[in-house]
Formats: sequence, structure tokens, C-alpha cells
Amino acid sequence: MGDDNSYDIRSILSQMREEYWQALAGEESEAKETLECLVFTLGGKRYAFETHYASEVIRVPKLVRVPAVQSLIRGIFNLRGEITAAIDIRPMLGLPQPEIGPTGRILVVRGENFATGILAEAAHGVQGLSFDGFEPVASGSGMKAQFVRGHFNLEEGNVILLDMETLLADPELVAGEA
Amino acid sequence: MGNRYLEIFCREAEEHLASLQSGLLVLEKNPARTDLLHELLRNAHTLKGSARMVGLADISAITHTMEEQLKGMESGERKVDARGIDLLLRGADAVALITSALMRGEKPELDVERFVAEYDRGELGQQLHTEPRESQPEAALADTVRADVKTLDHLVNLVGELIINKKRLESKLDRLKEITGALPAGHVTELAAFRGELEEDVLYLDYLIQELHAKAMGLRMLPLRTISDGLERLVRDLAQQLGREVRFQIVGQAIEMDRVLLDGLKPILIHLLTNALSHGIESPEARAAAGKPRQGAVLLSARHQGNSVLVEVRDDGRGMDPAGIKTAAVARGVLDPREAEALSDDEALYLTFRPGFSTADIVTDVSGRGVGMDVVKKNIERVKGSVTLASVPGSFTQVTLQLPLTLSVLDALIVACGGETFAIPTTYLQEIVKVRASEIDTLGSGEVIKVRGATTPLYSLPGMLGLTDRREAGDLTLSAVVLKHCDQRIACIVDAHLGYSEVVVKGLGKQFRNVRFLFGATIMGDGNPALILNVPDLFESGRGVRRATLSAEEAQAAQRRLKVLVVDDSITTRTMEQSILVSQGYAVVTAVSGEDALEKSAQEQFDLVISDVEMPGINGFELTRALRASEQYRDIPVIIVSSLSRDEDKRQALQAGAQAYIVKGAFDQGLLLETVQMLIG
Repeated sequence: MGDDNSYDIRSILSQMREEYWQALAGEESEAKETLECLVFTLGGKRYAFETHYASEVIRVPKLVRVPAVQSLIRGIFNLRGEITAAIDIRPMLGLPQPEIGPTGRILVVRGENFATGILAEAAHGVQGLSFDGFEPVASGSGMKAQFVRGHFNLEEGNVILLDMETLLADPELVAGEA
Repeated sequence: MGNRYLEIFCREAEEHLASLQSGLLVLEKNPARTDLLHELLRNAHTLKGSARMVGLADISAITHTMEEQLKGMESGERKVDARGIDLLLRGADAVALITSALMRGEKPELDVERFVAEYDRGELGQQLHTEPRESQPEAALADTVRADVKTLDHLVNLVGELIINKKRLESKLDRLKEITGALPAGHVTELAAFRGELEEDVLYLDYLIQELHAKAMGLRMLPLRTISDGLERLVRDLAQQLGREVRFQIVGQAIEMDRVLLDGLKPILIHLLTNALSHGIESPEARAAAGKPRQGAVLLSARHQGNSVLVEVRDDGRGMDPAGIKTAAVARGVLDPREAEALSDDEALYLTFRPGFSTADIVTDVSGRGVGMDVVKKNIERVKGSVTLASVPGSFTQVTLQLPLTLSVLDALIVACGGETFAIPTTYLQEIVKVRASEIDTLGSGEVIKVRGATTPLYSLPGMLGLTDRREAGDLTLSAVVLKHCDQRIACIVDAHLGYSEVVVKGLGKQFRNVRFLFGATIMGDGNPALILNVPDLFESGRGVRRATLSAEEAQAAQRRLKVLVVDDSITTRTMEQSILVSQGYAVVTAVSGEDALEKSAQEQFDLVISDVEMPGINGFELTRALRASEQYRDIPVIIVSSLSRDEDKRQALQAGAQAYIVKGAFDQGLLLETVQMLIG
């Protein structure tokens, strides 16, 4: 699309997000405020995203496998009458995939187009994460960083903040043929 | 013209008139708001199209002049002033006058010819006696309410939830029965009595739910009549155009179907009837020479069969010639001569459904939409129907469609397969069979079994679906289902049959776009989902096209919206087509000329191109040829929308490589959308 008149909506969006983030970070750091996040474990590491993306956290129900779709869609389940997919985003983040055991949960998130369930090894509830300890992701730190905004240095260790907007907009989450 | 149809039109007209009126009044106060013109133009245009559909020439003539005036205002050729707006309001009044007279069953007191002539001269002319709305007879409307389609769908969904919950109760009852059975004798009596009562309650609940479900579904059901009036018109016009004498009869007009299905059925019927007239019924002379009555007969009939509807289109024309079809199919590279030889006459008829077969047919396709039978087949699959062909050369052709009554609840066979539970819609189910390993033969690279004497390919359903396949060795009896689609039968081994059930169809949601093998999901008594199979996909897969998991690029391709390029030098047509398509979720890019279109199509890939013919610079035909010549656009459908209506123009368009041709005179948004949907979904 080398048209001069055309514009890349993605770059505009990410620029807007950047500005929003910077404005927010600037403002918040002055006030020493915290970001309310849902914290959970993926690939043995602690991850988080802002609570407003999450609609609920549930135990892993029976997942019905769907034929002929990409492997990250691990199955579908009945979320109070709505057929919902359970997805394993760990490969997207370059993480190992330890088995989802009894502590496993599904984090139901609502994207722009659909609600989907993210499989996590464990959920640790909602925490206010202080911006004081936030380090944005360094640019050029590789492909795997595309869904990561940065990390919080906490006493008990690192918590990585996911870029849920980018993640949920990723075409890899959608099954189907053209 | 059916009364009902007229009523629908008048109701539609009322809405458009109201929005015309309010829009015009806003415009009068703010003449600078020319952005409103577009919506007004759309109102007038739709009204014109609808009036033409129901044969109300008077209204069509008036709205045409209004449209011309609005177009003039939009292009800046006419001033948006009080006088112009007055004139437009007068036009709306005239239409209202006619519709209200029609509703009362009276003749409108308006000299339309004079009115239009005066209108074109910009004179306000005749005084109109429009009556205040209150005076319209309201009695007929008093015991009906209008409901939002969304509300209806929601209602049906809720009833679906009720059915699922009832099933859950039923499975709890079964569990209770087991528990009761396992208890020591002393406690049993009381519990058994309790269980008996509960059973009765659930049974009564079941009865109520069934009643409720029937009523809720009934709200979405419409009789075939709602689409058949238009079909009568179509057949009449076509017969005239083609010089055929045809008696068209419709049986079963009162048969009701889900509105959604009926919408899907309409383009299919249009196509089948067009085929019957253009390829089936011979000229009166040819018929007389063959010892047939000069007048041909076309019969459209609908009837219930079990839980489905059978719709048949039958003509007593020249029939389909299996040998001719085979030759044509070989000539067009649809199959090789060896395959052709192996086909039976019955099977040969279905070659017409193969993609690529009907490319030559479109040249003679008088309806001007020129869409092949393969697209019809796709549409039938989309509404979960199956199709059977029967024909005797020189005598008749009969196309039978079997369709479900609704798409929201289906009868299905539940099977266990690869550790999961699947529902198979019974429309596609021929029978359940038990197969012994010793009964399986190998033929070529695949396995076959005999089903009622017919050699039937045998597949493993888990294998086809890419699930774990555990077929044990030894001469164990295997469970299989025999599926039918068009003329084909395949047998699929499953782990076990779990019985028949009415299943509530739930969509898989936006995360699953056009996913292969699946039609939707349902929720079983245990609260877990089960997937509903899309059987036609299995037949495709049976031909050996097994697809692996989607690559990231494919997934990406699936996610984007379908893109359409609209090429027209008229801003009205362009924007109109654009707004129609955008409202249906297509991404639209417009081009103002053929050159512009070529430039834009080189920069990005479109899924469909809609083009005008007459444009400054290279015309639509040349554009089509240029697109066809490029690697990137060789197979991308092109629709020509033009005011040129001669057969010669159509032929030229189709020879250039266009898939469909829509005449602007008969242009309405429905036709355009139907054609677009037929071609790219």
C-alpha cells in the first residue's frame, strides 16, 4: 500500500497509545499512583494486564477441541450460554507451556470484536502496581516484545505488563479461512 | 399483485416518506447541509426501486423525478432553495396520496402524468389533497405490534437457553434414577415417589417449552408467498423477453419458513427459475415440432417432509442431456475424459454444480446476473440445504431442495468421535450402519463399503477432522454414518452413536470466521458444548484436500474484511454502491475511472470489483479484460453495473470476463448485495 494518501491505521493507533501511555506515566509518576492489574502466571513467570480488559476469572471447564484450527485455540467452552474459545497465548510470548494443573484458570477478556478465554497456570488476583518500579520495554528488544509494554520491579520479583490491546487485535487469535 | 405485498410496500413507503419529510424540513432551515441530500436520495431511490418491484409505475415515475432533482442538488447543478424543497415535499405528498389511497383500496385522485410533467418543469402544479394521517383506518393494525428483528432473535435465543436448561434437568433426573437404584430398599419408596413427581414436572415443563418454542419460532416464520409474488413477475418478464409461452404455477405458498432461510432461498429460486426458462423451456415452435403443447409449464412447489421443507422447481422443457453435460465438462476442463466415462447419467447432471462448469452458460443468461450453478450450490449449503437433480432429456428437469425449517434449532444425530461429541444435522444423514472390518474393501487409494448395494467411500471421521484416530485391529463391528450431499454418499466411521436430539444452534462467534467443518455449536445436557458439523465440508475433504492447521498468514487473511473496489464516474452511483456495501460490512474503495481502478487494484488486493461500463478513458469492458489478464485478478469476480441493457452489452461484458451484469434500470440494493454475497459471501 505505497499510496501517499493511504495511512497505516496500526501505526496511528500505536502512536496514540504511546502518547496516552506517556501522558499517563508522567501524570501517574508524579502522583506515585498505581495501575490496577490482574496478576497471573504464564510459563512460570508473573504477568499482568489492566483489570479493565478482564471480565472474569474462572476455573478451567471441560474444553471441547475444535478441528482444523490453529493449535493456540485449545478448545471451546460454555460461558453461561456463550460459546467461548480458550486460547494458549504462551507460544505468542515465546514462553514454555507447562501443563495447566488444578491451579489453572481461564481469564476471560473482552477484546474489540470478541470475548475470549486466556489459559493461565494460576491467577493471583488484582493488585495495584506502582509506577515507581515500572520500566517500559526497551525498543528493539526483539519480536517477542511486541505484546509486552514493560515490567514492574516488585520486591517479590518481576511482573511483566502485557499489551492487551495489541495482543487481542492479533490475527493469530482468529480461526478461519478467507 | 398480492395484497400482502402491497401492504409491505406501503409500510416501507411510509418510513421513507417520513424520513424524506423530516430531512427536507431540516434542509429547508439549513440549506448548506448538503450532506443530507445523500440520505434523501437514498430514500427516493429505494422507494423507486421498491415501487418498481411491486409494479407501481405511478410512484416509480414520481420518485424518479424527485431523484433527478435530488441528484441535481447533490451535484450542485440545482440550487437548494425553498422552492426546490417545496417541490420535493410536493413529490413526497403525491406518493403519500397514492399509497394511502391504495391502502384504502381506492383509486388515487391524481393525474400522475400531468404531475410529473409539471414537476419536471419545476412547477408546483396541482393542488394535492393529502389527508391527515389520523383519518387512515387503524382498525386492521390495532391487534398487531411491530417487533424488532433483534428482539425476536433474542427471544428465540432465550427459548433455546430454556431448552438447554430443561435438558440439564432431564440428565439430573437420570442421575437421580441411578442413585435411587443404588439405595438400600428401605429408603427407596419415598425417593422413588419424589422422583416420579419431579419427572412429571419436567415433562410438563417440556411441554410448555415446546409450545413456547413453536410460538417464538412462529414469529420469525414467513410464508413462501412473501417471496413468490416477485417470482411470478420474474417469470412473466423473462418469458416475454425470451419469446416463450409459459404457465407458471406455485403450490404451497402458505408453507412457512424462518425469515433468514427465506431470504437465503430467494436468490436460489431466482436462479433456478431463470435457468428453467432460459435453458429448459423451448420456444413455442420447437415445442410444437416436438409434439409438446406450445405452452411450457414451470412448477414451483413447497411442502413439509418431517422437520424439513422440500422446495421443487420443475419444468417440462428440454431436460438435461447427460452426454452433452459430460462433453461440456471435459471441454471446460472440469474433469478428464476417463472420469467422465465412469460417471453414470444421474451423476453427470451434478457436474453442472462444479465450479467452472457454467462459465459458458452465463453468456445466454438472460436475467443478467450470470451467476453459475456452483454459486447456487454454495448458497444452498449456506442455508444447510441439500439438492437433488432429476431429468429426462426432452421431457423435464426437476431440482429438489431439502431445507430445514429454521437454522436456530436442528434435528441432529449425536456421535462420539475422537474423544469429543459432535452433532450431525439429519438433513445430511442417510442412515446409520454397522461395519465389520471384513466388509471393507480397498479401491484405489481408499477404502469402500457396500451400502444397499452401492459402493460407498469409507472415511474415518476423527481422521477427516484431524482428531486422534484409534481404530482397533480385528474384526470388531465399527459404527458408521452414511452421509449424503447432492449425488454423493460417503460413510464415516465414528466411535459411537449417542442418539438423536434436537439441538439449539449457537454461533461460534467472531473468533471463528468461516471455520472449516463446523456449522456452529450446541450445549448438551451436561452443560458442555458439542460442535455441529458442516457436512458439505466433509465431502470436500473426502476428495483428498486435507488441510493442515492454518498458517499465520492464512489466519490473517481470514480476519480482514472482504474488500470491494467500486468503479463509476458517477458520484451518486459510486457513493450509493459504497454505502450499500459498507452497511453490510464490506470494506470499500472507490475509483472514478478505469485508469484509477487499475492503479488502485495494483496497490492492494480486492476480493471483488464492481464497475460501470461507460466512463471517460478506458471503459468497464476494457477494465475487466485488463484485470483478467493480470495474475493477481484472474479469478477475482467482476460485476458490471450499467444502464446499457441490450443482450449484446451483456454478452460483451461476460466475454470480457465479468461474472455478473446488473442493469441499472432494475438496480436496487437488494440485487447488488445478493449478487455480491453470492460471489464472495
